[in-house]
Amino acid sequence: MASFVRAAAVASALAPEIAPDLAMPPVEGDWTKRAEAIARAVSAALKSRAGLDEREWPAMPCLVGSSSHFIGAREAEPEAELGPPVEFAARLARCFGASGPVMTVNTACTSGLTALALARDMIDAGLCRHALVLGVELANRLSSIGFGALGLLSASTAKPCDRDRDGLVLGEAFGALVVSGSGTWRIASAATEIDPSGFAAPAPNESVFARAMSAALAAAGWKAADVDLLKLQAGGSPSGDLAEARAVRGLFASLPRMVSFKGAIGHTLGASGPAELALLFSALARGRVPPTAGFRHADPEVGLEPAAADGSSVRRVLFNLAGFGGHVASLALARE
Amino acid sequence: MITLAAPTVMRIDAVALAPRVRERFGGELRRAGTFAQICLLGAQACLDAAPPRGALGMLWASGRGAVGAARAALAESAGGEPVMPFTIIGTLPHLAATLLAQRGAPLARAAFVHVRPGGWPWLLGLAQAWLAGCDRVLLGWVEEARESEGTHQSDWCVLQKEPGEWSCEPLREVRGALPATSADWLARVAAWSAAPREPLALRGDGEAWRFAAGR
Repeated sequence: MASFVRAAAVASALAPEIAPDLAMPPVEGDWTKRAEAIARAVSAALKSRAGLDEREWPAMPCLVGSSSHFIGAREAEPEAELGPPVEFAARLARCFGASGPVMTVNTACTSGLTALALARDMIDAGLCRHALVLGVELANRLSSIGFGALGLLSASTAKPCDRDRDGLVLGEAFGALVVSGSGTWRIASAATEIDPSGFAAPAPNESVFARAMSAALAAAGWKAADVDLLKLQAGGSPSGDLAEARAVRGLFASLPRMVSFKGAIGHTLGASGPAELALLFSALARGRVPPTAGFRHADPEVGLEPAAADGSSVRRVLFNLAGFGGHVASLALARE
Repeated sequence: MITLAAPTVMRIDAVALAPRVRERFGGELRRAGTFAQICLLGAQACLDAAPPRGALGMLWASGRGAVGAARAALAESAGGEPVMPFTIIGTLPHLAATLLAQRGAPLARAAFVHVRPGGWPWLLGLAQAWLAGCDRVLLGWVEEARESEGTHQSDWCVLQKEPGEWSCEPLREVRGALPATSADWLARVAAWSAAPREPLALRGDGEAWRFAAGR
């Protein structure tokens, strides 16, 4: 059985020229209530796009990818009894009317894509008809302080693939996907690789990126030349962008169209899989490959120049993500 | 039908974690947080009993996760002090997979998840699905001690397609199956496997699995 992304929606702090969807509300008030308000807004958009009978939603399992879960609530209310992370995920699932089993997934920045791959496993194995996949990363001090402590943040803005790139900029996002047995975008394959040397390194080495992309292509039955569009991980990291670029240039004899979203919405960590997929599908539905915000000056060493392009002919997409600890995911998506 | 191998139940006195790690790995696991070390000790013991052959998946779960490091990081950040990088690294449970890969485990995919107390059958179902692409799946449940002098839990097994000592399969009917939780089902299977007579049927939230000798 094949699995598809049937519908997608995202709330993020995004530039409207990239791909309009839902804007994040200001960071104020009760943390948990704000999270639930965002969930309800994304739910309304997702349901209108999914076109499913309302009776399908209550049985739906929900898989939530996040690296910080409700840490923001713990910061705001250190003494509050919030229960285990999966109960926060259950609160979010209820905002979508999903009362099936709930799971949270934490593989750092690839969490959302790992959740998507697990949902695909469930659909393919016939364990459910539809699955709700959320990628959630909401305002908290600890993520910022942590990335700062690890020396990974930019002093200015995210500049993916740019010669002046100097680090990541973190962002908030709440992405949501419905994975089903039918839809517009078929998940042709999902590959992951782990860099054993990446335990405390900010970015995997190029061979791990190359292995992940090659595995995704092989599992999809594609050649590199079949890829119309490459969604880069590139977040503006000096070493990470370079490692990915070297792998891309080694794999593609002729470079496909390329885009990175991290200059527009920031690096949204565990949410970045569902969030960037939702932005990508939204842009392609409008016939556009959006510009890569933050990319202005080509870096000869990187050798990649993501640019706005016509997206109407894009049928095959390779979608890269990488995370702290050497985890790399590459997803092959085919427009049916 | 799939088979289960090397059910491994490990309880570690919190104060004995460092010596246990040194004993098994010949030294400290530099930069690794408490949770990742607990994971690695149990997972490695399981693989010692059932060495990986071919592509290995690693699917492991917890109720609370790396809660000790998360508390420490929150306390450090609340005090206005810079959080130490290794405190942050300790909050990342998925790094246990990187540690296992460093020791030569042929990991093809890995996922750390949180599920509810009755959610363990979901993990078995996913592990079974992973066997379409992996030769074996390492499946675990890990929980840190609640107190500094408490006991850590690191329970694991290997699921595989090849014939093995114990078969396992989902049941259509949950009636008659004994209730089990995410925290105790592996220990119950391990205890049963030490002297299996009748098949063992356990149930979680709405689903049940049956374990039997031989295939």
